[in-house]
This record gives sequence, C-alpha cells and structure tokens, in this order.
Amino acid sequence: MALLKGVVCPFCGCLCDDLEVEVQDGKILSTRNACPVSRSKFLSHAEDRARPTVGGREVGMEEAVEEAARILREADFPLIYGLSSTESDAQRLAVRLAELTGASLDNTSSTCHGPTVLAAQECGAVKCTLGEVKNRADLVVFWGCNPAEAHIRHPVRYSLTPAGMYRQGKKERFSVHVDVRETRTSKMVNQFIKVEEGKDYELLSALRAALRGYEVKEAAGVPGEKVKELAERMKGCKFGIIFFGMGLTMSKGKNLNIDAALRLVRDLNDYTKFLIMPMRGHFNVSGANEVLTWLTGYPFAVNFSRGYPVYNPGEFSAVDLLYRGECDAALILASDPAAHFPARSVRHLASIPTIVIDPKVSLTTKLARVVIPSAIAGIECDGTAYRMDGVPLRLKKIVESPYLPDREILGRIIERVGA
Amino acid sequence: MIIKNGTVYDPLNGIKGEKMDLFIEGGRIVEEAKGEVIDASGLLVLPGGVDLHSHIAGSKVNLGRLMRPEDHRKDPVPATEVTRSGTGYTVPTTYVTGYRYATMGYTTVMEAAMPPLTARHVHEELCDIPMVDKGAFTLMGNNHFVMKYIAEGNWEKLRNYVGWLLKATKGYAIKLVNPGGVENWKWGKNVEGLDDKVENYGVTPREIIKGLSRANEELGLPHPIHVHCNKLGTPGKFGIVVETVETVVAQGGRIHITHVQFNSYGGEDWATLSSAAPEVAKAINRSPGATCDLGQVIFGEATTMTGDGPWQHRLFKLTGNKWYNSDVELEVGAGIVPYTFKPKSLVNAVQWTIGLEVALLVEDPWKVVLTTDHPNAGPFYYYPRVIEWLMSRKAREKTLSEVHKAASSRSTLPSLEREYSLYEIAVITRAGPARLLGLRRKGHLGVGADADVAIYEFREDDVEGSFSRAKYVIKDGEIVVKDGRVVREHWGRTLWVSPPGELPEDAKADFEKYYTVSLENYPVEPEYLPKSEVIPCG
Amino acid sequence: MEVILNTGRTVDQGVSMERGKTSPEYFEKVAVAFLHPEDAGAVGVGEGQAVRVTTEFGSVVVRCLLGNTERGTIFIPMGPWANSLTSPLTEGTGMPSLKGLKAKIAGAPGEKPTPLEELVKRWRGEVGSA
Repeated sequence: MALLKGVVCPFCGCLCDDLEVEVQDGKILSTRNACPVSRSKFLSHAEDRARPTVGGREVGMEEAVEEAARILREADFPLIYGLSSTESDAQRLAVRLAELTGASLDNTSSTCHGPTVLAAQECGAVKCTLGEVKNRADLVVFWGCNPAEAHIRHPVRYSLTPAGMYRQGKKERFSVHVDVRETRTSKMVNQFIKVEEGKDYELLSALRAALRGYEVKEAAGVPGEKVKELAERMKGCKFGIIFFGMGLTMSKGKNLNIDAALRLVRDLNDYTKFLIMPMRGHFNVSGANEVLTWLTGYPFAVNFSRGYPVYNPGEFSAVDLLYRGECDAALILASDPAAHFPARSVRHLASIPTIVIDPKVSLTTKLARVVIPSAIAGIECDGTAYRMDGVPLRLKKIVESPYLPDREILGRIIERVGA
Repeated sequence: MIIKNGTVYDPLNGIKGEKMDLFIEGGRIVEEAKGEVIDASGLLVLPGGVDLHSHIAGSKVNLGRLMRPEDHRKDPVPATEVTRSGTGYTVPTTYVTGYRYATMGYTTVMEAAMPPLTARHVHEELCDIPMVDKGAFTLMGNNHFVMKYIAEGNWEKLRNYVGWLLKATKGYAIKLVNPGGVENWKWGKNVEGLDDKVENYGVTPREIIKGLSRANEELGLPHPIHVHCNKLGTPGKFGIVVETVETVVAQGGRIHITHVQFNSYGGEDWATLSSAAPEVAKAINRSPGATCDLGQVIFGEATTMTGDGPWQHRLFKLTGNKWYNSDVELEVGAGIVPYTFKPKSLVNAVQWTIGLEVALLVEDPWKVVLTTDHPNAGPFYYYPRVIEWLMSRKAREKTLSEVHKAASSRSTLPSLEREYSLYEIAVITRAGPARLLGLRRKGHLGVGADADVAIYEFREDDVEGSFSRAKYVIKDGEIVVKDGRVVREHWGRTLWVSPPGELPEDAKADFEKYYTVSLENYPVEPEYLPKSEVIPCG
Repeated sequence: MEVILNTGRTVDQGVSMERGKTSPEYFEKVAVAFLHPEDAGAVGVGEGQAVRVTTEFGSVVVRCLLGNTERGTIFIPMGPWANSLTSPLTEGTGMPSLKGLKAKIAGAPGEKPTPLEELVKRWRGEVGSA
C-alpha cells in the first residue's frame, strides 16, 4: 500500500494540493483532506466509465479514432468544445486540431466566466493569488457565489478561516456575502446582504457612487445606510477582496455586472488595497483560457475558418453556434454540454455527428456518434492545471488507466486529420 | 554546411567586416566542413541576435494578450505549410513571437520577469516558442525570504535560498523590480528612494540590492543582477539609477540596469520632463561592471507590463486606460496597461530621445544592449528601426523633425553626431548581450560556437529593411529562415543555471504557513524543459 | 404560479455527478426544485412531491424540496432538468441565461419526475419538449 502526499485535486478551481491518497494494487482506497466532491471523484473514478463506440456499437480504439478523424475531415464547420477538465497538453492539441480543421474552438468558460473575460477586456482587473488573501485580507466579500457548495475548501484554505502572515484566522477578517438568496455560505460570514434578483449592477453602481460621497437612498432592495456602511467598510479596510461567481456572470447584465464590479475595485484602490477574483469552476478552466490565449491571442470563442484565429463571443461561442444550428460536426473534450447547456442548444448536438472524448459515461456520450474513453487527468494521467488565481500546478498520475490520455487521443486524431 | 564569401562581423573574435568562409557541422561552428553551400557573397554575416530583456512568456504576458483583443485583430497571422497561425500586434502569441524573432535574425531571447510561483506557466509558454533558445530571469527583489534573510544579515541562508530558488524555478538570473516597492504595493504603497523602509521587514531597497548582488557574485552566476530601478517613470528621479549603480559597484559587484530610458528622467514633473541621459550615461561610463539596455521608445502602440505594481497603477491613473494588476504571494506583483507613444506628445518625444541618447553617450558599446523592453516601449520587431536611428544621424534628424518640437531643447540628442558602425551594432545586438549573459557559445562565430548565424542583405539606404528580414538564418546548423520567411520550424533549448544552494531549514515552516501550495509542489519539474541546457556558474 | 428560477451548483449535485450522471443518485439529487414552503403550499405541493416547472423554453416535472429559498423564487441544481428550462440566448456574450428566469410552477399530482431517457429523447427530437 502506498500513501501519496501532496496530490493535486482535479475537481474545482481551488486545485487543493494537500490531498493524501491511499493506493493499493492500482486501486484508490481512501483520501485525506479531500472535500466530499473530491473524495467522490477519486473513489468513484473507476465507475461508470465510457467504452469506445461508433454509432452506439462498441468498437476498438483504432476504429473510434479513425471515425472521429473522418468526421472532422469531412465537416465544413466543426465545433471543438470543452477542454476545462483536462490538462494543458491536451488543450494545446485541441487548438492544433481546430487550426487544422478550420473549426470553431470554445471552452466551458463561455458558460461560466466568459462574461468576466469580456469585462476585463474593457477595463482590466485587479487580481492577486490566493495566498495574498490568506496572508493579508481583513475584508472578504463573496458576491453571487456559494463556496460552501461549489468551492468547498476555499473558505478554509484560502479566504475565510486560515491563519496567514498578518491575519490569524476568521476573527481578524470581516466577511460579507451578497446574493439573491441565503445559502450555506451566508451562514459562514459576518453579514449577509440580499440583493434583488437581477439588480447586482445597481448595487455595485450604488457602491461606486457612495464611495465618491453621493447619497444613496436605496439600491437593489438594500437600504441606503447599508450601502454606505459597506462602502465605508471597503474603503476603510487594509486589504479587501471580492470573490464572485455565477450569480454575477449568469444573471441579467452578465458582463456588465462584472464590469461594474471590476470598476468598483479599481476605484477602491484610490483609497486602499482592494482586489477581485472570479471563482473558477472546473479545475482547469483557467488553463483553457491561458492556453488558448498564448496560442491564439484569445481566451475562448475562437474561429479558425480563415486560417488564423478570429475572436467573437456570441458568434463562435458554443451555445450560440449550436442554438443557431451552424456547425455540422462537433468534438466535445472533457466536458458534458448535454448536462450543462440549455436544451435548445443540446438538440443540435444530437442532430450532427458528435465525437466525445471523456473518461466517463456522460449525457453527451448518449448523443454521440463516436465515444472515445480517456484517462482521467489528475488521477490516471499527469499534466498541468491552472488554479483559479492562475497558479499552475502539476497534476499527478496516481493509478494506471486502461485508457489513453486525452493528449494521446488528440494526437492520433491530428495525425489522421492531417494525413 | 559552408557559408561562403560573406562579410563577417564577429566582435568577440575581433573580426570587423572581413570576407571569409564559415563551416558548420553538428550544430556548431567548426574548422572545416562539407555539405550545403550558402553563397554569401555581398551579404553581411553576423552571429544570431541575442535579446537579454523581453517579455514573451508567463502570466503577465498572457494577461497582456487576454486583455487586448483589439490589439490582435490588427495583426492576424495565417498558418503556412511550415508555421502555425497566431496573432500580434504588441503581444504576439508564442509561435508568432518565435517566428518574428527568427525572421530578424535573433536566435536567443530571455524572458525578463519570472514570478517563482508561476514559473511553470513561464516554462509552458517557452515550450511553445519555436526557433530560439530561451530562458527566464527569476524575480527576487520583493521576495519574503530574501528580505527576511537580508534583515537578519544571514548571508549564508540568503545565498542558499537564492541558489535553491534559481534551481526550483529553472531560472537564468536574478531579477529585481522596484526592490521593496512592490512589497509595499501589497498594502497600496511604494518606496520613494533607496533608503525607504519596506513595511514589516524593515529593510531598504539599497540593502536588498546589495544583498542580492552579494549572493549573485558569491554564487558566480553568469549574468549580473538585472535591475529595474525604484521610481521608474518618475520625472527627476534619474539619481536613483546613478546611486543604484554606485552602490553595487562600490561593493565590487556587477550590475545591469534594464530599460534605462524609463529611469533617466530629469525635470520636476511631466510638464517639465527633460532627458537626464547624460548624467546616467556618465555613471555607466565611469563604473566598471555596470551595463544597461535601452528600453527604446517606438512610436505607436505598446502594452506596458512590468513587475512594478505601483508604477502600473500610476500609469493607469495617468492615462485612464485599462489596467490589470496581479500580485503573487510572498514574491512579486505585476501590472499591465496599454499605452500609445505619440510623436506629438512632448513627454513621449522626450522619452524617445533618451534611449538613443544613452546609446550614443555611453562610450563603450559593450556596456549597451539594444532593447525596447518589449512590449513596454514598443514591439521587439522594431529593433531594426532603432538600428537605423543609431547608424544614421540623418534618420534621427528626420524623426526629430516629425515629433514635438520642444523635445529638441530638452535633450542633447540633436547635437550628437555619433553614428554606430556595423561592428558596434553587432556588439549591442549579439556579442555584448551574449557576453553579458555568460553564454560562451553565443554571440560569436568562432570554432565551437553554436551555429546560430544571421545573414543579411545590407542596404545602406534601408537599414531598417535590411535587418527586418534576414536573407538566411541558421539555427543550430539548420536553415530556418530564407528570404525573410520561416522555412523550417525549429525547437531551441531552455537555458538555466544550477548553482549550489539548499532551501534553508527554517524556510520550510514559513512555506507551510504562508504559501497556498505545498513545498513539494513548488519546484518546476523536468517535464517543463524538454530541451534544456545548464549554463555553468563560477 | 409565477416565480423566478435560479440554477447552480450544490454539494449533492457535485458528489452525485462524480458517481455518474446516469446513476440513480444523480437523478435523486438533481431532478429536484427547492421551493419556499409557502409557495409550495400555494400550488399544493409537499416535500418530495412532483412539481411541474415551465418556462418559455421548456417544461419538466421534478421533485419538490422545501426550504432554503426566497418566496417567489425556486432553485434547481445545474443539470439537464434545469437546462430544459434555461435560455440559449446569450445577447452576444456566449453566456446563456441560466439564472433569474421567469418560470411557472404547478402541482403535478400523479406525475413522476421527468426521466433522463425522456430528456434524451427530446434532444434527439423523438418527442416534443413539453
């Protein structure tokens, strides 16, 4: 039996790197330090695995790869989507494949923090790594996010309770949760502020006004005094941070909400140190943005049909392409759009030849013409992943896999597409 | 391979424009070889260019790309039979970066600012930059352990930590950016001079510079400490450069002042900005072991990106342009702000004169390196334009006539008659930086040198055009560029140093308490350097 | 009754997803809607009973769970049931509208939560969507 230490968790953007995993005879027996979701991922990793199929018929890997290559070769306008739950080498190859096939290439950030990217492209962002928060923050604001359910160890490892260089734990940090509803996160903080549905932009703008000394009577259902109190608290802290999530990116206003939040934080730096960080979901969705950006200049929604990268969210993003029924084939890598896209977009996926590369049976595999099972990055395959704050970590291979890593599969498809 | 009949400039071997043949075998220059013959009659043959300060890879560079789709849209780069697609303009994608360096005959490039915690990211991008050999300087001027050991006066631990950190990050040199000021920026503050205190640590920028210089020389690192001085971009603060140089030289250290243009400002404020290039050049001239690179301004679009968080915030406040800030726990900060250098802006025009003035006033070309601090003062692929300004007073006068008139009265540039020779250009673009980096097989064409060769069709009436598109570039003995086009994708090596040094025992406890990654997951694994070369110390 | 629909992650959704999206556990944890007890009362639905949720984009039956939401709003964990209801319109951003959607709830006595197979058939166009 072996106890592996310092294992990096391949679930969410926290990328906790202090896991201990007990392995015997190539099987994972137990985990330590893992959150419930992470434990489930490690302990259930061998269950519910996909099989190589073409048209629902089980085939050998070679045949599945060949059929995938044929589909992509023959397509006029393929879509390559996903990328966020795999390591960066596979992401690089996905870019290569998109370039070779003149595809549209998108990753799951278009349905999580794509709006954050759009806002940052307007005004920039004031960011830091998580250790800065642990060491210095005396004011922590969770806005439109629910770490208690989605980033379970975030508050303990990074943001709320850990002792750092200048802060000795929760009592030395004031914490606020702003959201449309009370959640488990609300119970962990000093103050919950309820914002009316779809009115985050209003509250953020009111805070910016209050900072400049304007009187706010009421904003988004929050009384004026409370707005002023929060503005003063932000101004008066030594080191503040806003963590934000889908509550801002997915609700009415989308990128404009983020734009308001980014500008609020920018304004605050006239008075004190203040930062902001998106709570990234998939463990390597940050990496997908990074890799696409260094290879194409653009973080998502990139199209190669002109022979060079062109960027246009809304046009080349997956939900839009599918809803409008524009692509005539799709390759889905390490994500499950059938589970997480609006059904209206999923329908088109079901009507075109779709290739899925995924370790597990997913809802998208149920619609796919070709299914190619792969090794799980971070459990059965090593590689690089980028934490929500951009810190890259080395994923470990803990057990052998009967399947090939994503990068290997993509490499074989590329060989055949190029041939 | 034989390069026949070329006009060779090889300053490190004292060759000044002699007609001769070069022989290449096994990726090196050799005494005698057979094979393919390149007829270089009438062509200029130089060692491959060496850039010792550029921002081409890593988290900060990629944020610069991410935030500027408008920049890329201007400069799409289609794939060809041999090359990948990508985009420019000021912050090109990794492949395009490699292609463009190679096209102008550069074969070695150093990324000048690697945050230790995100070193893996730097190496990931370096792995995707083809054509050139590359390396990265490890940021240390605001490092927790560095400041702690300096405050304690514990030189042994400092030396050990620095040695360990270079190995852990697979770095090439010690880089300081606004030493102490960036730590203060993590509380929204800065330092004002060399003797200001760093909050909580009690050390001063001067002590940090001296301490790291001492560690640098004790470890025998091939490159001097590489310093982005305090109070960069501040009118009237040129004295900090002079003092920084003197401080290091006084203790027998070597020092490289980077993008010196940005620190050589006289006057009292932006309205009265004037060039202090003569004072700074004097300090460099009289200080043995002191060198600089230019950070020459190119008019047009730029993306400023430095590890100097407080400076970038000030630039944001000055311009109102978009602003990225990125602080890294226990180590560094960074900021990114797009910027346009306008010829009709007095400030920009004065800045433009300063870089050239320094180059012309520093007497020994071995003390000067051509850079634009890419992409801070302009993209690297405008180096040939800088070469033209340096070689031709007429070209300088032409530009002077097009920029804000008052610049001429705030700088000595109009009076400078010096024109660089081809030999001197070969020094400041390859031989000098190679020697300064301690790369003994680079920057020259003697037997045993790496077969990195740039061959140009030199036309006196179009110096910029001549150096923009090499006739041939040979990298590791292979023709990779022909007639200004990449004809072969080549993968260079990552260069790094491996000095002695272990992580001090007491650092481990701090690591556990203050970092958010485990010590065991901190050092960059060998997987990130598929082709690499350790450059010896001492 | 008209309500506002939000969707998003829950711990149970995450844990059961890692067990497998075709597992009974996933169905149990994700084919649900959280209702305020008074709203549930108003449409005559109790804990664990079937509730039909309908938007402009589709309609599903899910199991009602009481509590932890504001009056006039319901919450469905991210997954195919939630996404039978969400909007594919991105307003040029790439981001569909997955939160703050107008929806209607009604009791669905005698109905069972919409099975996954039914959703797959809808995607394939083998059956209508509501």
